[in-house]
Amino acid sequence: MGERCAVIGVGQTKHAAKREDVSIAGLVREAAERALEDAELSWADIDAVVIGKAPDMFEGVMMPELYLAPALGAVGKPMVRVHTAGSVGGSTAIVAAHLVTSGLHRRVLTVAFEKQSDSDAMWALSVPQPFSAPLLAGAGGYFAPIIRAYMRRSGAPDHIGILVAVKDRKQALKNPYAHLHMEDISFETVRDSIMLWDPIRYLETCPSSDGAAAMVLADETAAAASPRPPAWVHGMAMRSEPTMFAGRDQVNPKAGRDCAADVYAQAGITDPRGEIDVAEVYVPFSWYEPMWLENLGFAPEGEGWKLTDSGATALDGGDIPWNCSGGVLSSNPIGASGMLRFLEVAMQVRGQAGEHQVDGVRRALGHAYGGGSQFFSMWVLGDDKP
Amino acid sequence: MGDTGAEEVLRAPHALDYTYTRSVGPVIGAFLTGLRQGRILGATGAGGVVTVPPTEYDPQTGERSGELVEVGPAGVVSTWAWTDHPSADQPLDRPFAWALVTLDGATTGLLHVVDAGSSDAMSSGMRVRAKFVPEADRRGHLRDIECFVPEASS
Repeated sequence: MGERCAVIGVGQTKHAAKREDVSIAGLVREAAERALEDAELSWADIDAVVIGKAPDMFEGVMMPELYLAPALGAVGKPMVRVHTAGSVGGSTAIVAAHLVTSGLHRRVLTVAFEKQSDSDAMWALSVPQPFSAPLLAGAGGYFAPIIRAYMRRSGAPDHIGILVAVKDRKQALKNPYAHLHMEDISFETVRDSIMLWDPIRYLETCPSSDGAAAMVLADETAAAASPRPPAWVHGMAMRSEPTMFAGRDQVNPKAGRDCAADVYAQAGITDPRGEIDVAEVYVPFSWYEPMWLENLGFAPEGEGWKLTDSGATALDGGDIPWNCSGGVLSSNPIGASGMLRFLEVAMQVRGQAGEHQVDGVRRALGHAYGGGSQFFSMWVLGDDKP
Repeated sequence: MGDTGAEEVLRAPHALDYTYTRSVGPVIGAFLTGLRQGRILGATGAGGVVTVPPTEYDPQTGERSGELVEVGPAGVVSTWAWTDHPSADQPLDRPFAWALVTLDGATTGLLHVVDAGSSDAMSSGMRVRAKFVPEADRRGHLRDIECFVPEASS
């Protein structure tokens, strides 16, 4: 991997449906300033900035990184924009980490954001096309048949998705930055919520959020000078595949399996469930927890839902807690959602996750996916130098 | 393919109609609110710079901009370009000049239009003054300033 790289600062906004009090510049600035404060650094200490967000069409600002340079202290410094749809927050962190592992830079600020209140991303994803029936189905309409295929293939009972939705919203109550704080969430409230795209109920989908996430990544020398414990990168990888090709397995995409295999090989992991202490995995629709449990090798194919059903993935009593922060189901500033997964595991490794901290985390997996389950980015962080 | 002629190739319009909202934040928001009140605000920055329209973060240093100060309503044209035949959606329906106006108290130029009647009346260095639309018609928009006019004739 080249030089070692560690996370030495994290910052995020309080995610909300509408942050009408700030511009896009103000939103990213908020997360970036918190990351610098956490690292006890100033803008002058940063060598380069790597920023990511989902399609420009979502806010209608083309190449927003150009106008955001002053807000991110990037004037006169190298600045790179990354775009890989919903996985972009993860990919952005990886591109930033590469600038450190390559030996190019000592301290890199990486930022990701989305301001969904400036637009309506759900419907931007399903623009009517000539000679086609207007679906107006959004992302949920795209993923519903894939989830149905998973249920048929695995024999998973209908209530599994509900369990995930309840678990992640309960965990979000322990995360002050989460968008949704649903005190009265229960199996019944999720079960009785309206069926949007069968089998996805309203409360089994992610919210639409404004938010930003930021991290300071550092090389070994800069990490040694850092006031708080660093979270070291033990492995990181990206993979992608086309949306459609003959024989594509959309339920258990090959790009996801390959990406996980690469990251585990780098980190020396052969038994993910046994060797990883906590994971933040991109689950925007409840059923993606059991599906990714299989794709990421935490359970054999067809048996991911059994882990969810047994409570293994819960912060309270599970042996492999997933999405202790509440996950994408509780906060979804799209471009930032992947980086939040990467950032939350840094917080877990550094012991700074507060109420949703898992005791004694030594190794953690952050994961993001995007597009039609076709872009993947993952990293494994550890409390010791790789 | 048979007898299907090339003239039967199907065509359809594809209109992409999409609505955005913009949260402008405390600095641009104050600037737009100021326009509605007939005031032009600039942002103070490092080295005595006053940026108009104001930016949230100093374009040079990245520092958060300092306090907002009122500038103008008069200033100096630094450069200009004459338009003899305005198109329908341009700010004025008569010949005018696009101009960069450095307002009194500002250090950067504001792009706007000067209603000078003739290009002979235009020159770099000339003084102009903002002419606002009637208060009832203002909406927190750069075109709440209808135009600039040569100061001598205002």
